[in-house]
Amino acid sequence: MRNLSCLALLLSAIFAPAAVVRAADFEKRVVPLLEDYCYDCHGEGMKKGGFQMDKYKSVDAHLQDTEHWFTVWKHLQSQLMPPSDEAQPSAEQRNEILRWIEKDVFKVDPNAPDPGRVTIRRLNREEYRNTINDVLGVKFDTNEEFPADDTGYGFDTIGDVLSLSPLLMEKYMAAAEAIAAEIVAKSGGQIPTKYIGSDQFRGVDDPKKNARTLRFAEPASLVKAQAVEHPGRYRVTVELNVQGSMEATSHTAKLGVLVDGKEVQTAELGWDNRRNIKVSTELDLTPGEHQIGLTMTPGTPPQESENPLTARIENVNLHGPLDGSHVEYPGEYYRVFLDGPPPADAEARTAYGRKIVRHVAERAFRRPVNDATVERLSVLAREVEQGPNGSFERGIGHAITAMVASPRFIFRAEAQPEPNNPGKIVPIDEFALASRLSYFLWSSAPDEELLELARKGQLRANLRQQVDRLLAHERSERFVDNFVGQWLQTRDVEGMNIDARRVLGRRRRAEAEEIFSNRVRRAMRQETEMLFAHLVKENRSVFELLTADYTFLNEDLARFYDIDGVKGGEMRKVPLAEDNKRRAGILGHGSMLVVTSNPTRTSPVKRGLFLLDNLLGTPAPPAPPDVPELEAARRGEAKLTMREMMEVHRADALCASCHKRMDPLGLALESFNAIGQYREEEDGAKIDTAGQLITGEKFADVRELAAVLATSRGDDFLRCLTEKLLVYALGRGLEYFDTPTTAKIVEQLKKDGGAIHSLVYGVVESAPFQKRRGDGEHFTASN
Amino acid sequence: MDKLQFSRRHFLRGLGVSLALPVLESILPASKALAAAAGPALGRTAAGDPLRMAFLYVPNGVNVEKWRPQGQGRDYQLSETMAPLQHLKEHFQVFSGLEQQNGWAGADGAGDHARANATILTGARPKKTAGSDIRLGISVDQLAAQHLADQTRFSSLELSCDGVRKSGACDSGYSCAYQFNVSWRSETAPVAPESNPRLVFERFFGSGKGAERQKSFAARQFRQKSILDFVLDDVQDLSRELGRNDQHKLDEYLTGVREIEQRIQKAERFGPLPEPNAETPNGVPEDYQQHIRLMMDMLVLAFQTDSTRISTFMLAHDGSNRSFKEIGVNDGHHNLSHHQSEADKLEKIAKIDLFYTQQLAYMLERMRDTKESNGKSLLDNSMLVYCSGLADGNRHSHDNLPVIVAGHGGGALHPGRHVALEKTPMTNLYVNMLNTMGVPAERFGDSTGVLKDV
Repeated sequence: MRNLSCLALLLSAIFAPAAVVRAADFEKRVVPLLEDYCYDCHGEGMKKGGFQMDKYKSVDAHLQDTEHWFTVWKHLQSQLMPPSDEAQPSAEQRNEILRWIEKDVFKVDPNAPDPGRVTIRRLNREEYRNTINDVLGVKFDTNEEFPADDTGYGFDTIGDVLSLSPLLMEKYMAAAEAIAAEIVAKSGGQIPTKYIGSDQFRGVDDPKKNARTLRFAEPASLVKAQAVEHPGRYRVTVELNVQGSMEATSHTAKLGVLVDGKEVQTAELGWDNRRNIKVSTELDLTPGEHQIGLTMTPGTPPQESENPLTARIENVNLHGPLDGSHVEYPGEYYRVFLDGPPPADAEARTAYGRKIVRHVAERAFRRPVNDATVERLSVLAREVEQGPNGSFERGIGHAITAMVASPRFIFRAEAQPEPNNPGKIVPIDEFALASRLSYFLWSSAPDEELLELARKGQLRANLRQQVDRLLAHERSERFVDNFVGQWLQTRDVEGMNIDARRVLGRRRRAEAEEIFSNRVRRAMRQETEMLFAHLVKENRSVFELLTADYTFLNEDLARFYDIDGVKGGEMRKVPLAEDNKRRAGILGHGSMLVVTSNPTRTSPVKRGLFLLDNLLGTPAPPAPPDVPELEAARRGEAKLTMREMMEVHRADALCASCHKRMDPLGLALESFNAIGQYREEEDGAKIDTAGQLITGEKFADVRELAAVLATSRGDDFLRCLTEKLLVYALGRGLEYFDTPTTAKIVEQLKKDGGAIHSLVYGVVESAPFQKRRGDGEHFTASN
Repeated sequence: MDKLQFSRRHFLRGLGVSLALPVLESILPASKALAAAAGPALGRTAAGDPLRMAFLYVPNGVNVEKWRPQGQGRDYQLSETMAPLQHLKEHFQVFSGLEQQNGWAGADGAGDHARANATILTGARPKKTAGSDIRLGISVDQLAAQHLADQTRFSSLELSCDGVRKSGACDSGYSCAYQFNVSWRSETAPVAPESNPRLVFERFFGSGKGAERQKSFAARQFRQKSILDFVLDDVQDLSRELGRNDQHKLDEYLTGVREIEQRIQKAERFGPLPEPNAETPNGVPEDYQQHIRLMMDMLVLAFQTDSTRISTFMLAHDGSNRSFKEIGVNDGHHNLSHHQSEADKLEKIAKIDLFYTQQLAYMLERMRDTKESNGKSLLDNSMLVYCSGLADGNRHSHDNLPVIVAGHGGGALHPGRHVALEKTPMTNLYVNMLNTMGVPAERFGDSTGVLKDV
């Protein structure tokens, strides 16, 4: 007994309490480094930028302030601190502090990081629309019907801020009804319509001619053979537009519609009624092949000063049999009524109804449903089926209303054992994983293949293959739209409030808006999104976002950028010649340049902030209150250049510390005006784009800046992009315990030469994507 | 009331839905609930007419010099910006000296626009967070709405002209929720406003035309009941598997379900839908002024038909950078508000301010010309606050806010004056208004008492 207590004493002497060891370690290893490199400005009474490192009552209190250390960690990691004009720690010293913070303050275990916890997420407007479309085949305009979603950390996928107000609940209820009503309305089958393209018609005399455009002045006769399967009455319709003159003209012609050589309808065409003309008639047809013909007969010629007209035939279609003796069901019909129309036998109908509700519920809820749920839904369906005005389809519609209004549809809930035990970490089940994957890469519910793998418990085993498949699918466009749209704010280009007239210095608004047109804005958005989509498609390096020596243009945007040789409205990949290389990468993209401008002028501060925030991941702190606006510098002075104004602005030491970080970045982009046009001077003064980053790198212009960002600041860029993608995918902000996750992904991404799929794999395979823990105070490995 | 209804309510409460329920109507027969509510003058004027309360918000402060009226009391001159209101002078009072202390930076740093928007109806300090754990306080309109929930078909109406939300983060580290909502039903739940006038109309008066409206409305309510039963069972299943924060989200859902349920019960109690004698609007007009006025029409219609007695209307969110080409101001409003005392910018701000008071004038005229029973007008029986959460946009000042209180409050208010106060919490005004609405409140937000002289 006595020996034992001696032993205990001895042991406690050797194994001093962890906190004591930790504090001693801090004093010995870390404090000397902080004294050398930090305290000149942030200690011993100094608190530059409001940041003070030795303000704590005790070492323990200091070590417990994880937020504080997270800030230190970020600034050290990105080499923002110490500033480049101060003494620098060696790489080993820097690492010493970083690793110490991670281990002793964050207490993270890189091999088993805390996955954190995502609050159940309400579907946002994009996800709701896509899910309804993909599961039920109904197009529902959520932007029109639902209020805009709140965003957090720059994205609209954040569980905590996606709130659900009573108003929205009411709208969800109404939406569920409207969606079900549409399914019911279309469930009766549709009278078939056969569309015949005008390019399929051939000239009777000249087989090289087709019917796409028919000139008023030129007699023509064209024909196309069309098979008819079911006898009955049909409606034949020709849809066309008249083109050729904005001004009134007296030019006319007669269009004839023929079936089997017999004229069945004619129409007088002229200038007065030009848009969306429908020429149609009804007639009886027997099964077999019929000849559909079109003729053009010139009428009054145009007068001397008038323009000639042409008819643009949009399509010819055959609709029938009109009595409904033969109907077709569109593909969407089978998403719900998977075996076609219901059988007549009552028992078989009930069984079919059950089958349908189970099938739809599994897709709408993204996981298997139990028998009790199927039963409840079947009861709902049968009540309506047997009620007033009831039918099988209406019954199913009612059950679908219930599903779409259910919290299982509206929320992405992830069940877990011990939901309130923060120490309990579990891998999410495969259905939850399927949802995380599909909402990440498709902004929608999992498809049958994902669900089937989850049912078999084989999704984890086939994860990369599924990521590849999802990325290759056209639905991954939504990932590009939603992620890039918010990360690089391309969503905002089209609606951005920019006064092109003032920027261009034109007198007339119409003139300016012709140059900076909606078409150009749309093309700008597409340019950036297509670049990202291209990288995803070909698994290229993410650094090409900064340095690609090609871009995506159509004629409108190419003309706007002053680039020759691009014809037509279609966006396509265009290699950049040497003198257009300033357009390389997103720094030269109109989208980025426009969304960071003020309505009448560029804003180097906004642009600088944008790059710090979204490319380097080192956002500047918000401006202090009462900060004078830029133009304040202008007063009383002769006209200053933007650069001179900003220099005056940051003469103030308080402003300087942050502006030294933002301004060089923003000023490098001054060679583009507020609508993204290249310029070499402003108000007659030559624009100087040269600068130096706070980390020391010098550059002469935007191209060199992009190169710096992609090389010596490349790690920052990779980390920033990784963080953005993690936030988007996880639906929560990142915490200090996520640092090993980010570091691991970045490390692998570097090894893989920046290949974008490596990044997506990294996110999908990361602990926070694969696991979750119970709710409660942050769990850390050592306590 | 049948047994099912009761057990459901029980169940709702069991899940921790904490709601200020003035009357537990579900366990009272409908007629008794009505009788109980008719006791105190909740939401009624002294004469017994419905009393309405509305808040109109304009962003980014004003050109202070052109806003301040000359003189005090009844004998005062309207300012240049208030000129469009001249003919309505007997129907409103101007307040100077009201403030929102929680709007100032304090220890929270930048983000005055988010704070201006967040504080204006709550008098509470928004927790600075970009995403998780948003926290503010209940807003004055919602507090009143919760007390009056029983009186009208809809407890409140929230409007805005901002439909599209800019992507990216909002003001200086504050979640966008603070900047795009003035109404908060609780500390953590903003009430998103509606910007589409068509949807407002259909929500209040049903869809379709004439008699169709009534029928479609009734059929829909019947079907909704069985849907509600289903989803409530689902909630119960789900809630077993979720943690605390998830539970809060589910509570939001339940609150919404509960409101729909109440609506159905209310509809049964209130009888046929009111006939608005108006066409369903087509959607959102492109022109800003038309949009504002159409929303005002909706608001007036909702009040006139006594569909609700409480409303908020955010003409634009604070920090809005909208330009006003229709009045020749091409710069963004927010940019201009950082005017640096430059004459041309101040001039443009004054133009925008004038534009906004013109819209207010339109609204007040509509209310004045809408007659109620016994010859009173809607404006007689209303209290309408028109305000901004900043005074000077350049200094981001949250004191001496521009505030107009229009309407006669059923005789309780004393319009026709300029009331010049010294540093008084805006929430003191709200306490008065709440009391006038029949809501027993001694404090609200950061109030220090009741502003008696309104």
